[in-house]
Amino acid sequence: MINLIVLPILIPLLTAVLLIFFASKVKTQRWISAISALLNIGVAFSVVRKVFVDGIQILNVGSWVAPFGITLVSDMLSALLVLTTTIIGFAVILYSFSSIGKEREKYYYYALVQFLLVGVIGAFTTGDIFNLFVFFEVMLMASYVLLVIGGTKIQLRESLKYLTVNVISSALFVISVAYLYSVVGTLNMAQISERIGSLEEMPGILTVIAVLFLIVFGMKGAIFPLYFWLPGSYFAPPIPVMALFGALLTKVGVYSIIRTFTLFFFQDKDYTYELLMILAIITVVVGVIGSIAYWNIKKIIIYNIITAIGVILYGVSVATTTSFTGSILYLIHDMLIKAALFLLIGVMIKITGTSNLRQFSGLIKHYPGLAWTFFIAAISLAGIPPFSGFVGKLLVIQGGFTAEEYIGATIILLSSLLVLYSVMKIFIHGFWGVPKEYAKKESISYRALLFPIVLIITISVLYGIGSDYVYSYVSQAVQTLVNPELYIEAVLKE
Amino acid sequence: MSLLHIAILSPFIFAIFIPFFYKGFKSIHTGWFTLILPIVLFLYFLQFLPKVGGGSSVIETISWIPSLNIDFTVKVDGLSLLFALLITGIGSLVTLYSIYYLSKEKEQLNTFYVYLLLFMGAMLGVVLSDNLIVLYTFWEFTSFSSFFLIGYWFDREKSRYGAQKSMLITVFGGLSLLGGIILLYIMTGTFRISEMLANVDAIVNHALFIPAMIFILLGAFTKSAQFPFHIWLPDAMEAPTPVSAYLHSATMVKAGIYLVARVSPIFALDQSGLWIWLVGGIGIITLFWGSFNAIKQTDLKAILAFSTISQLGLIMSLLGVGAAALHYDYLDDNIFMVAIIAAVFHLINHATFKGSLFMVVGIIDHETGTRDIRRLGGLMQIMPITFTIAFIGAFSMAGIPPFNGFLSKEMFFTGMVRVLQMDIFHLETLGFLFPLIAWVASVFTFVYSMIVVWKTFAGKYQPDKLSKKAHEAPLGMLISPVILVSLVIIFGLFPNLLSDTIIAPAAQSIMPQFIFDDIHISHWHGWKSPELYMTIGVIVIGALLYLTAAKWKRVYRLFPEKLTFNKLYDALLPSLETGSNLFIRSHMTGFLRSYLAYIFIFFIGILGYTIWSKDAFTINRANTAEIGIYEIVLALLIVIGCVTIIFAKSRLTSIIALGAVGYTVSLFFVIFRAPDLALTQLVIETISVALFLLAFYHLPKKFRHEESRRFKLNNALISIAVGVIVALIAISSYSTKLFDSISKYYVEHTYDPAGGENMVNVILVDFRGFDTLFEISVLSIAGLGIYGLIKLRMTRRKEG
Repeated sequence: MINLIVLPILIPLLTAVLLIFFASKVKTQRWISAISALLNIGVAFSVVRKVFVDGIQILNVGSWVAPFGITLVSDMLSALLVLTTTIIGFAVILYSFSSIGKEREKYYYYALVQFLLVGVIGAFTTGDIFNLFVFFEVMLMASYVLLVIGGTKIQLRESLKYLTVNVISSALFVISVAYLYSVVGTLNMAQISERIGSLEEMPGILTVIAVLFLIVFGMKGAIFPLYFWLPGSYFAPPIPVMALFGALLTKVGVYSIIRTFTLFFFQDKDYTYELLMILAIITVVVGVIGSIAYWNIKKIIIYNIITAIGVILYGVSVATTTSFTGSILYLIHDMLIKAALFLLIGVMIKITGTSNLRQFSGLIKHYPGLAWTFFIAAISLAGIPPFSGFVGKLLVIQGGFTAEEYIGATIILLSSLLVLYSVMKIFIHGFWGVPKEYAKKESISYRALLFPIVLIITISVLYGIGSDYVYSYVSQAVQTLVNPELYIEAVLKE
Repeated sequence: MSLLHIAILSPFIFAIFIPFFYKGFKSIHTGWFTLILPIVLFLYFLQFLPKVGGGSSVIETISWIPSLNIDFTVKVDGLSLLFALLITGIGSLVTLYSIYYLSKEKEQLNTFYVYLLLFMGAMLGVVLSDNLIVLYTFWEFTSFSSFFLIGYWFDREKSRYGAQKSMLITVFGGLSLLGGIILLYIMTGTFRISEMLANVDAIVNHALFIPAMIFILLGAFTKSAQFPFHIWLPDAMEAPTPVSAYLHSATMVKAGIYLVARVSPIFALDQSGLWIWLVGGIGIITLFWGSFNAIKQTDLKAILAFSTISQLGLIMSLLGVGAAALHYDYLDDNIFMVAIIAAVFHLINHATFKGSLFMVVGIIDHETGTRDIRRLGGLMQIMPITFTIAFIGAFSMAGIPPFNGFLSKEMFFTGMVRVLQMDIFHLETLGFLFPLIAWVASVFTFVYSMIVVWKTFAGKYQPDKLSKKAHEAPLGMLISPVILVSLVIIFGLFPNLLSDTIIAPAAQSIMPQFIFDDIHISHWHGWKSPELYMTIGVIVIGALLYLTAAKWKRVYRLFPEKLTFNKLYDALLPSLETGSNLFIRSHMTGFLRSYLAYIFIFFIGILGYTIWSKDAFTINRANTAEIGIYEIVLALLIVIGCVTIIFAKSRLTSIIALGAVGYTVSLFFVIFRAPDLALTQLVIETISVALFLLAFYHLPKKFRHEESRRFKLNNALISIAVGVIVALIAISSYSTKLFDSISKYYVEHTYDPAGGENMVNVILVDFRGFDTLFEISVLSIAGLGIYGLIKLRMTRRKEG
């Protein structure tokens, strides 16, 4: 029992409430947001350290003993994801200062960002399947509002689609929880795991429920064939919101798949994991196809989200220690690098006034810092060593080959080439070439925008070069995945 | 961290200081500052020469990712030392040359030298790393530094094209190499080459042996521009000429050769013959194709590019053929070993003569303003020193005595002729192709070598076709090529200066199974040697072909432009893009209804299949209540309500029907004795119906689009199927209660210790109060959103 682990949820929640009262005072809002976000990084870091030293940490909310109350569980996986989330939150908030605009700031933009963080961090931390649904709702409601706030035509149109798809998936989520509850009689995730583990053979209905969960989380995580809503919806909102969505929301879906598939549905793998693998491989292919199909820089990065989801889930579906380690390493890398890439193209759009790659070129002449940051982000995305994407991808592929899953591993290996092509296309055509004149409508604070990006990229580079240090943490996270006993024991046997 | 590590990393560290130097000392050419490093490194590596004789090596390690067996292990043996000396030696000369080639007023020298240093460090890393992952890391670095150097003049469309092409092809190879490395790791559990060598037997008999070989060869072939991946190299000539001399002739393109040589001790043992045929075969085809195509080029640099392709093929084929030595008795006088020695020797020679030729071309371009042989000619008197350099370089390349190229070319012939004595892997029947193609290709090599010299320097001087008045190059620009051609002559006259110092240790690393000592390279093999007649044949036929070139050049028209690999590449990218675009457009319609249809079809298909294949449907009525008249009536009401919602012609009717459904559900709650739920449901239904009515008042009159019957039918089918699936799973879940529910706990603890009287309330505010807290947050967020949506309209503003 430790109260520390609820703090990363409470800090943004209280900050959000506080911010509502300062709606018209933009400067105050900025200060509060930034300080709170920074504080939360510190807290999240201390949670990571605590878990690293003392193992899985739990908190029974209201002191109702597990499995009857709601239990928060910080294992290394959740602690690391929370830490990553807080870092991205901080960077995006800094970036928003000179990007989002006063109007949105006055209409609770910062409060909504904090609410979004509450939802994401809560989802990573909770150990209760219904509570997970609740945090999904917090996150989704905040995302609906962030998507629609500003009320431009494209925002309204895309919000409607996003909202409908997510309301449907939420309904399916509740139904799935109800089905699962009916079969196992509990909501506590550790106990669900324990009960399913005690069965000699997994009944068919549980496999069906596993597939249902895969559909529910797959819709959030945008796997094939449930991703259709994503390219349009992510295209609409302003850049910082896009960065939050791209870096965080789909990853909550991925996290939930990882959590439920390792904790609940670890039996009958031949069926469920095989299905996951097939979908993951197709997801990679579809993502790559999308990213090379467009000359719009937003679209290129958006489709790269889908590719990465496929890579991560492929590693999960192989389900060996090596492949899990690869997936987790890649997951954290991808959160960082996607945030950075969205923010980067945001600066490019600010400078040029367009996201159409055919309409600008030669940016490197006047913005060399932007160009080099983009280049590092691009090759990190493609998994070029020694940058952050490499070790994760290496282990995913190595895990695939070792498990004799040659097709998927080879596809992922070669997908890197097209991923690289899709982002280097931006470099070659957008940064190289002859600079053009752009009709600038507003002056931009280039340095202020670049700072948070450089921050993320620095962390990502350190993440890559210091892989050995990171590895010691990630391998601890993987222990819970390959051995659910650890999770059960921490929650139920305290 | 040892001195060796520092040596490899020093170019990277040095690169950091280049921009400062560039800014701080505008009057001094940045190249002078850069030049220090390769010279120091060259001297440093020279002192390893005595340490690597007889197959010994120096190993240093620092740990990087020990948990994954990835450590920065550096190993200096004969092969890597040879390359390290080439990299730093040619690197010094090229840097010196570039100081006069690139104007400090016009060019961005800071970026140029940063890229050059990055390349140098990366290349040293490739040849000195013992750990394959580290090797791969540096390998990709060389690809990217090459990318930046080719795209150095990025204003030019062609530079960008060439840069992208080289990047895509070499990175493809790099990834493939990575695949091979991973497979080797799976077979051996180590990333270190020296440890793999200790485990060769396990690898050779492993099922992954052949896939690993093919993966690694793809990496080597793309990097060393082997057929059909050679297409990137001619376009890489968009880089400044010093870069072409350095990366795209002397060093980087030899990384593939290095790799093949490095893994030879493992893969040459291949019992299927694939290695010999792939390495030797692709090599010899590349040799032929490169030399054949060089002749039709009119740009001097393009000739040299194809010539480089061809010469890389030559070295590659020697490594392939030499592998046969391992399939015969491990005698030290094994006659097939000569191919390996020839490969090493020619590698050195090629660097000297090709390096000098590239520099010559750079000088001509610099001093006349063109590289087109149709506009050049008669420069012999105007540029006598340049002519001499070109003459020596080209004649060495053509294999004419007394230059070093002659010696290695003869040795190459020896290696190829000895293929005739091999009787394994079908070489006894098809082996004759090797010496035959080798000889034909050498004839072409002779022809284009002559073209390079005579078309440029002989003939008539045509000043009107040149953009500048031609004159001899400045002294500084001549130093480097003069040093290189001096080496051409020295190695040509005294080849045995190299034989025991560098060639033997390098060959030893390629084939540790043999002992290479007492290598003696001789100029004369006697009247009976076939090499002699092959060389004479090359010169005679070559001279004839050169003189009659105008007559037979029509041959090239037989190869239609459309069918080249270049065209294939050019067609591939756009069609990939268009294809992807069409594919995406085919299903990303932008309509929510299509997306929902896809999602639900998947839902039905996969869940239906799972229920069927897992035999998951169960029904158990043991715990269910009797169905009475009330239930039937209410169920019917719900059905009627739902049908009305869908088919109603006006919004009002639909909303009322919706309300009716809701109220009926609350009646169900009443029947099933859940009064608080019934009350809640009633309140919610009342409010939402009222709100809907209010909101819809403001909406346009048009309610439904008229849709086709088929569309409606499809949607109806999908909806029904979704309903059936959900119901089936619900019934089965309800019928499969495997465990007791935890709800008893709530019943028992509501009074004590929770202190409440209504269990539902206690669950909401206490047992699961945490849920409720955040459900309240959800409501507040929604409230903020609605407020913002009403007040803030940014439609007319530009989005960012």
